[in-house]
Amino acid sequence: MISRRALELATAVLTGSFGVAVVVSSLDNGIGWSSAGVDAGTFPFLTGIIVVLGSLYNLGRGLLPAATLANVPIAITSIELRRLAGLFVPAAIFVAAIPLAGMYVASALYVFAVLAIPRHQSVPRALAMAAATALALYLVFERMFQVSLPHGALAAAFGF
Amino acid sequence: MDNLQELLHGFTIAVTAPHLALMVVGVLLGILVGVLPGLGAPNGVSLLLPLTFGMQPVSAIILLSSMYWGALFGGSVTSILFNIPGEPSSVATTFDGYPMARDGRPTTALATAFGSAAFGALVGVILITFLASWVAQAALAFGPAEYFAVYFLAFASFVGMGGAAPIKTVVALALGFAIAAIGIDTVSGSVRLTMGVDELVKGVSFVVAVMGLFGIGELLVAVEEEFHARAVSSTIDWREVFRAVGRLPRHGVALLRSAAIGCWMGITPGGPTAASFMSYGIARRFSRRGRHFGTGEVEGVISPETADHAAGTSALLPMLSLGIPGSATAAVMMGGLMIWGLNPGPMLFVDQKDFVWGLIASMYVGNIVAVVLVLLTVPVFAALMRIPFVVIAPLIVIICVVGAYSVSNSYLDVVMMLGFGIVGYLFKKLFYPLAPLVLAIVIGDKAEDAFRQSMLISKGSLGIFFANKLVTCLIVGGIALLLLPLLLQLTRLWRKPASAATDAPVQERAII
Repeated sequence: MISRRALELATAVLTGSFGVAVVVSSLDNGIGWSSAGVDAGTFPFLTGIIVVLGSLYNLGRGLLPAATLANVPIAITSIELRRLAGLFVPAAIFVAAIPLAGMYVASALYVFAVLAIPRHQSVPRALAMAAATALALYLVFERMFQVSLPHGALAAAFGF
Repeated sequence: MDNLQELLHGFTIAVTAPHLALMVVGVLLGILVGVLPGLGAPNGVSLLLPLTFGMQPVSAIILLSSMYWGALFGGSVTSILFNIPGEPSSVATTFDGYPMARDGRPTTALATAFGSAAFGALVGVILITFLASWVAQAALAFGPAEYFAVYFLAFASFVGMGGAAPIKTVVALALGFAIAAIGIDTVSGSVRLTMGVDELVKGVSFVVAVMGLFGIGELLVAVEEEFHARAVSSTIDWREVFRAVGRLPRHGVALLRSAAIGCWMGITPGGPTAASFMSYGIARRFSRRGRHFGTGEVEGVISPETADHAAGTSALLPMLSLGIPGSATAAVMMGGLMIWGLNPGPMLFVDQKDFVWGLIASMYVGNIVAVVLVLLTVPVFAALMRIPFVVIAPLIVIICVVGAYSVSNSYLDVVMMLGFGIVGYLFKKLFYPLAPLVLAIVIGDKAEDAFRQSMLISKGSLGIFFANKLVTCLIVGGIALLLLPLLLQLTRLWRKPASAATDAPVQERAII
């Protein structure tokens, strides 16, 4: 269970630290006025400052008692969290597997895994859908639009 | 008259067999994403975007805009039949549309919705036809300072009228600017904000951002709440369709008022969602049958639908003539324009007449195609609602991953896309608005260039923004919009300290 407050705080910290990174990084480019006009770092520097200040404000709002925030003190219940993880974790594993397995194999495995393992579909149907996905990707990208998707380190090792 | 001639020329471009076929494909895909919850017009358009890179710009924009019309119509179908808004902008349609369908009048509800939607879209397109080249002509006289002032006004109006918490809007805008600045600086050529990652020199493509924000982000929001579709009968009785459309003129006042609200909210970046809510609220207040709203009132369907489509259509006017998109979907399309090698803005009307007028003509035709197709396919798409979400979700993930990769064949983009997905989820959950973020990513560079060029012209003096009447008006208007939320807050506190707290949930509801 994650409270609205914790989520607000986490997001404010996330945006704030991005803002700080932008400010620090833009100092390398120089801020202010030079012979070539406004320096390259000026604009990012200002936006970084705005992000930091805005995040601090949102952080402050988040620290206030939850009643003023909104009428929902709980943002994500544990059931919802499980559903979220059920979608995101396999997707993240899928993305992580792409450099090794390649787009086609990884996406077929991904479709098969999310359909067959929680028993949403029978194994043969999940297999068929997985194969259809990979085939459709191949036809649309490699053939029709001539965009080469990554084939993966494994395929390279086998000499494709 | 010139405009009409150009429009006729546009029709010769839009009404060709390949383009009509593209419209049909676009509208069908649009209805599909509109019907599927968790996918909307911005998602659909961004998912389709990588496939258009190799097309002619005019064909590509016809495909994308047709998808937009389809999505707008498709969103209303599920709102009415299942009480599930397929699109954020059709939330207000559920208030009266679903009760109407539930009481055994689904055909009336659908036909009323489509009829008024088509009317709203028509008003929007006519507005574009007559105003676009005029606005563009006025904009041709713009210098960098005026451009910056217009951008400033656009950003400020998000803060002042966007409906989200003002500081959250500011943070979203500034984040977008910072993301747009990553990579090589176009003025000085120096590398900015790569934070030690060499691959970031090429910058962050907005396609990667929208795929994550709208694709993965909304998927996460959708998976969170398991919905149960309680379908009402979705067969269409054709005689009732014509009867319902025939009854529309009786609600002429509501139609015109809603279309006006829609056009206004579309041109200023209020967007279709805010427009439909506003129109519904105003209709409830002014209608003689206002007390019956929420129980299946015809005007309660007409008002949000007309405004939704009028806003969706007229949002393309500032995009074409000024290079400032009026809605999230228009922002995505504008990013597409830039990728196809076109420069949105007034010069488009001079250099790319075929493109502009082909697009405007295609809006007339596309909307007709959309109305016909949506009526014909309601039963089919209603059946689609029975496909379980668990099957659709992984397919959307794959489309996002492949789309992000194919932008520049970079694995880093895929990882960033997932990151944007988390950001999109968090922002959606906490009512940070996504449209200003996308807008800033798309036109952040242009705004910055305009600012730096005006600084070069004025040798570093901010006085250039008050040098003539036009630019002063724009800047002052922008500042006023920026301060508007603050003033409202102050007057509210001054009048009634207690009412400030009760207003917040209404605001938050409006931007969901």
